[in-house]
Amino acid sequence: MSTQGAAGRPTSGRGRLLAALRPRASRGQLVAAVLCALLGFAGAVQVRATQDSDLSGLRQTDLVRILDDVTERTARLQAEARDLEEARRQVTNDTNGSRAAIEEARSRARTLGILAGTLPATGPGIEFTISDPDGEVTADVLLDALQELRDAGAEAVELGTPDGPRVRVVASTALVDAGDRAVEVDGRRLTAPYRYRVIGDPDTLSAALDIPGGVLDVLSQNGSQGLVTQQDEVTITSLRAAPEPEYARPAPEDGDE
Amino acid sequence: MIAALGLLLGIVAGLFLEPTVPVWLQPYLPIAVVAALDALFGGLRSLLDGIFDDKVFVVSFVANVLVAALIVFLGDQLGVGAQLSTGVVVVLGIRIFSNAAAIRRHLFRA
Repeated sequence: MSTQGAAGRPTSGRGRLLAALRPRASRGQLVAAVLCALLGFAGAVQVRATQDSDLSGLRQTDLVRILDDVTERTARLQAEARDLEEARRQVTNDTNGSRAAIEEARSRARTLGILAGTLPATGPGIEFTISDPDGEVTADVLLDALQELRDAGAEAVELGTPDGPRVRVVASTALVDAGDRAVEVDGRRLTAPYRYRVIGDPDTLSAALDIPGGVLDVLSQNGSQGLVTQQDEVTITSLRAAPEPEYARPAPEDGDE
Repeated sequence: MIAALGLLLGIVAGLFLEPTVPVWLQPYLPIAVVAALDALFGGLRSLLDGIFDDKVFVVSFVANVLVAALIVFLGDQLGVGAQLSTGVVVVLGIRIFSNAAAIRRHLFRA
């Protein structure tokens, strides 16, 4: 639908476009081609560069801003890392401290439990058997023997009979004559022969019982007999319930509210 | 026809040669491309108007590219390179749109 003008040139837009598309090596066509090639080349290169690179295509101000951001972020993260490090150290210290305190408390509870008779105990010690064929052994004699053993450093003591009841002996233990050749220990009735089982230094304990005028002497004068055997391991399993104190409370220590 | 072939040839060459853009050229190349695009559309419009002149086309092409690059350079020196680049792109974009509208009217009479 191109219309030809008087000079044989198309006058409508489309006609001119079609005319221009017709290949002819005029100077204008060649120059336009070169410039278009340049444009295409530059555009393609730029598109490819933009796709390839994240940072290299940015201008200096943008790079500086990004660098600032990164630096600031690094500083922030470092500060955070320091805080966390500090917190971790604190927690570790606290944990170690409380663990040590718990261990200390447990150890103390074990010691006190042995002393109070609420825990079984084992260790070197002696067995001290008192036979009483004549019924001469009274609570006094047994108490003397017990005091002697305590003086000699007995740490855990059990009083019983070789095949009968056994009673853990602690600070509050009471020895009472029950008559009829029997002794009541903390409410438990024991009859001869009596046997002390003691944890402590075996040599010291034996020597304490064996001193002249001591327990063994007294027993033999009364016609009864004491037999001491040292043992590498004495295990005391009889226990004593520790009553909860009804009135006494732990007093605050100095400087401790 | 030859111009269209040249454009195609340039694109293909750019895609396959994969040249690295020199660092000093990197800020200017995108603006230059947009400016050249503007010149191209202007040339096409003048062709349809029947007033196409190869000398005018070459001069406008080169001048567009140089002025765009100069503006970007100036903006970089003044510290407003990013904003000025945006401004140039907006202006060139408006021109491209108006040229494209003229071309459209010529081709479709609408």
